Amino acid sequence: MTSPDDDRSVTTLRDPEIRPVAVLDMGATAIRILVAELPPGEPPRILEEASRAVLLGKDAFTSGRLGASTIEATLRALEGFRRIMDSYGVVRYRAVATSAVREAINRDTFLDRVRLRAGIDVEVIDGSEENRLSYLAVREALREHEAMTEGDALLVEVGGGSADLSYLRRGEPVYSGTYALGAVRMRQNLAAFHGSHEQRTRLFHRTVRNIVEDIRREFPLREARHFLATGGDARFAADQIAGDDAKHPARSIQRDRFLSFCEATVALDDEQLVEAYRLPLSEVETLVPALIVYRELLLETQAATVLVPEATLRTGLLLDMVRTDAGQGIEDFSRQVLASAEALGERFRYDANHARHVARLAVGLFDDLRSEHGLAARDRLRLEVAALLHDIGIFVNLRGHHKHAQYILSVSEIFGLSRDDMGVISNVARYHRRAAPNKSHLPYMALDSDARVQVNKLAAILRVANALDADHLQKVREVKVLRENEQWVLEVDGGGDLTLERLAALARADLLTEVFGRKVGFREAGARS
Amino acid sequence: MKKAKRRGPREPELFLNRELSWLEFNARVLEEACDPTNPPLERLKFACIVASNLDEFFMVRVAALKNDLAEGDTAPDLAGLTPAQQLQLISERAHPMVDQLYEALTGEILPRLAERGLKLVRPGDLEPPARAALSRYFRDEVLPALTPLAIDTSRPFPMLASLSLNLAVLLGPADGEDDPRLAVVQVPGRLSRLVRPPGVEGMLHVLLEDVIWADLASLFPGQEIRDVAAFRIARDSELDFDDEGGLDFLQVIEEELKNRRRSGIVRLEVEDGISPPLLELLVSRLELGAEDVYRIRGPVDVRPLMSLVELPLLEDLRDPPLKPQQAIEAADLFALLDEKDVVLHHPYESFDPVVAFVSSAAEDPDVLAIKQTLYRTSGDSPVVRSLARAAENGKQVTVLVELLARFDEQSNIRWSRRLEESGCHVIYGIRGYKTHSKILLVVRRGRQGIRRYVHLGTGNYNEKTARIYSDFGLMTSDREIGEDASAFFNALTGYSDPPRMRKLVMAPTQLRERVLRLIAREKDRAEAGQPAEISAKMNSLVDEEIIRALYDAAKAGAKIRLAVRGICCLRPGLKGTSDGVEVVSVVDRFLEHSRIFHFRNGGDEEVYLSSADWMPRNLDRRIELLFPVEAPEGRQKVLQALDAIFQDNVKARRLQPDGSYKRRRPAKGEEAYRSQLELHREAKRALDRLRAGSGITLEPIRSPVE
Repeated sequence: MTSPDDDRSVTTLRDPEIRPVAVLDMGATAIRILVAELPPGEPPRILEEASRAVLLGKDAFTSGRLGASTIEATLRALEGFRRIMDSYGVVRYRAVATSAVREAINRDTFLDRVRLRAGIDVEVIDGSEENRLSYLAVREALREHEAMTEGDALLVEVGGGSADLSYLRRGEPVYSGTYALGAVRMRQNLAAFHGSHEQRTRLFHRTVRNIVEDIRREFPLREARHFLATGGDARFAADQIAGDDAKHPARSIQRDRFLSFCEATVALDDEQLVEAYRLPLSEVETLVPALIVYRELLLETQAATVLVPEATLRTGLLLDMVRTDAGQGIEDFSRQVLASAEALGERFRYDANHARHVARLAVGLFDDLRSEHGLAARDRLRLEVAALLHDIGIFVNLRGHHKHAQYILSVSEIFGLSRDDMGVISNVARYHRRAAPNKSHLPYMALDSDARVQVNKLAAILRVANALDADHLQKVREVKVLRENEQWVLEVDGGGDLTLERLAALARADLLTEVFGRKVGFREAGARS
Repeated sequence: MKKAKRRGPREPELFLNRELSWLEFNARVLEEACDPTNPPLERLKFACIVASNLDEFFMVRVAALKNDLAEGDTAPDLAGLTPAQQLQLISERAHPMVDQLYEALTGEILPRLAERGLKLVRPGDLEPPARAALSRYFRDEVLPALTPLAIDTSRPFPMLASLSLNLAVLLGPADGEDDPRLAVVQVPGRLSRLVRPPGVEGMLHVLLEDVIWADLASLFPGQEIRDVAAFRIARDSELDFDDEGGLDFLQVIEEELKNRRRSGIVRLEVEDGISPPLLELLVSRLELGAEDVYRIRGPVDVRPLMSLVELPLLEDLRDPPLKPQQAIEAADLFALLDEKDVVLHHPYESFDPVVAFVSSAAEDPDVLAIKQTLYRTSGDSPVVRSLARAAENGKQVTVLVELLARFDEQSNIRWSRRLEESGCHVIYGIRGYKTHSKILLVVRRGRQGIRRYVHLGTGNYNEKTARIYSDFGLMTSDREIGEDASAFFNALTGYSDPPRMRKLVMAPTQLRERVLRLIAREKDRAEAGQPAEISAKMNSLVDEEIIRALYDAAKAGAKIRLAVRGICCLRPGLKGTSDGVEVVSVVDRFLEHSRIFHFRNGGDEEVYLSSADWMPRNLDRRIELLFPVEAPEGRQKVLQALDAIFQDNVKARRLQPDGSYKRRRPAKGEEAYRSQLELHREAKRALDRLRAGSGITLEPIRSPVE
């Protein structure tokens, strides 16, 4: 029986509403949530923030697995977050976990329990995705700031498990990397150390300096004119030095003031920190190692100020949602991704002209064959990156350079690209010459079957594109695929003698024929008419 | 970075002792009881409050000092007094206070009431039929509840409940012995203390102990009754002193005490007519000192007389009622709050909008969630009913309950269960902290997205006390306050660690430092030669750090006005330290309860309201909130109320450098200004303005097509 005012048979549709969304992240020291509205064309409106200190990193970085009590604390925190989400009627959310969960052996059962108890699906993201999301947030916070428009900038986020670095040139990330400089990890590494605070601090310094040595080889740190610091400990330092003005999108601190704050704070042991800053013990524990990392990296640069943008992984996640709402995917990051890929190429002294030319021809073929290959925009970007970097193995040795490229790419980081992306890209680069994919090739077989098919298709295209610049002189201006009687004819527009290109292209079309079942012919553009 | 805690010279001369200051406050209430210009029933009410306050004071504060003494603690307080010295001074002040209370009561108040027929009589004063009826009542109802206890030296003294009324009976020696014997008859607490005999004209009442006394012989057949005297003991309550001002706290204490009959006795009250041998026996058996004995010249325990005040009779012996005014008249409260903030001043203005706020939130289909703190609320309140209703309507309801009495007390179980069964998420307090903040959050979905509506108050969500306590409430849809409110509840519910907040300031995490910073800012401005001024209103000012900060500001030249209703440990008028500080206290018909803080801030004035007094307890051991009043209209209203207190020259008393209070009087040519009446008049005028304004409604036509 229903009473008249209990009538559920009619649904009244209202004007489209702005429905709140939520983003959650599970870091090494805390789990945090942000509930927000994303009004179209406006910056996200934050409705609510909450965080719970849960020391996932302490478990993950020592024993490699999350312990029962940590899991229970996490579940309880997430149940609370679930209630917060429910209180806003949140349906859409993105929950991510970073290094601590990523590295835990029992992460799958852990995430399953999270799903069952809190009803939250958590996605484990890798360092480069973290970098991309942080970059999004930083770009939003700094907007037209000089650091994003002129010169080089080093963006540093010291997290619990790792320090994520991005090197920006005029606001575009060109290098990025994840280093074992996480504050919780560093502390855990010294957990068994029972020396004085000074001794422990000295060990931190030594660890950090060793790794900074390595970073210096990868990043032109000396050229950085701007130093951007994100992460909870950086924000804390900014609160203390510049005042707690959260409304400001970025706080600017004089280099000297930042350095002297670091030095003064690093000198304090945990008890003194608790007393001095009225922080809970769990929060002060990361402060000393994190500040050492910021300090050592700052000293490597020529930056006169430290910029602390109000940018977190969560705001990055929100902005990413906004982008998705606007129909943008990773490919809209292609500029940044390609800039980062080229920077990697430069490090391995690639032939930039050849690389860019091959990349252009490859994506041209990719676009031409869209209806045949059925691949997505993300694969186009992967092809472009693979094309740019297919020759970097020559840096190691010309002989077998396709294999060297495969190896280098499989361990490199390119801004915005995930480990999955790099798995495909490294294999595509490998198959730009010589043997076709084969079941005996372990890196290839390590991919899942979808990825292997992608590799086959993309490598088939890359081999032809590369052949079309066989003598590295960029003679071919354009290539089109003409479908003629069961055959694909490459109509090539170029200057000079294209004999070498023709021979090479016909030879390297082997994989294209195998994958798509079409014979391949070659014709120069003027020849037909 | 926080400075190391200040350990300057102790300077006891800068501080007043808090216990003596509290006694001064009670003396001001007593002054109202003695004031012949007050109607007799109002005077009786004040007399009951004085007695009830004293009970609480002895069971909490005196008990704590006695414990200190027993543990050999000789550490002096802020004012440099050791526990022993404090107990001595308390005794010196409390004895005459009790005498004065009973002088007023038996010498003036009760005779005045008797003139109008409202009388306390003894059974012997009645006609035989009425006397017979009392004897029947005794036999049928009272006697079965009585257990006379024979006290002898071989047995421990019976565990008499704190504050319970008893009769001490001195019996003649047993056969073959020389010494008279002591017996105790407990006056049953379950029966009402006032008995109205049947068939008697007028409003005659007999006290229950007199009913028993009249037939006492039947309890001790064949024995010689040499003397009878009513007496009452007060024990250590082992509880924290609560300054919510009501009588209800005693219920909590009494509830607690049922389990704690053993705790130490801190005071004995006996009828003054008691014979020396009986008193001597009693005192020696209770192991008390002479200073702990209070001889009562009238009925022991006058609190039950409060029920006479509430009798719906003799209207002219009471103050004419000051009816709370409707401050807002809005069909859609949420729409109103979208437009502007609302500041309510209770009890001048009605509490109804707050009740309506919760009930309309409960029914509004767009409301997603309601969160509220309930401090000492009775279960049968409209607010609680609305919360349950909201949960039944599918809204997410979170209630943080600070129970009135013990958790397992039956009535509390009933209503908190009801909340839970209706689907509310109920949290029974925060371990280690009392949740004293008063906040209500409504999350609502609108066309433009989520909006949050918040009510913040200085008083409890209790529509009964909202009629007698002066309190402020702020209703707002301010975005930042809304975010802070959410963050606050997340912290309380354990969904989040204590957050950073934008506009709200929370104790125990930030409140103390914020207040110190605000005071220091005025000091800095004064030092820079700017006019600097702090006006603050609260119930108690005890915190050393804050008092010292106020001295520093005063020394720098800031003008400081304090309206402290109760305890004030700050000593005003000290040359070179606090000569710029004025402290007043208003004790009148409504209990002053709001906390208002105003800082001049170089002209960019800031006005705050708070649930917290400036006491270590509020700042360090409770969850409290301080919130800004930003809308000019609301700010003006709050400041007007604050100024009214300082303008009062009828019910205001000014604190003197020696800790005493001097009543303000209208100066020559000055008009009498009684702030509470003025504020009520102002609320009426505001309502008239509102009504006049709303007489004409302009309704815009939004679309010609419609």
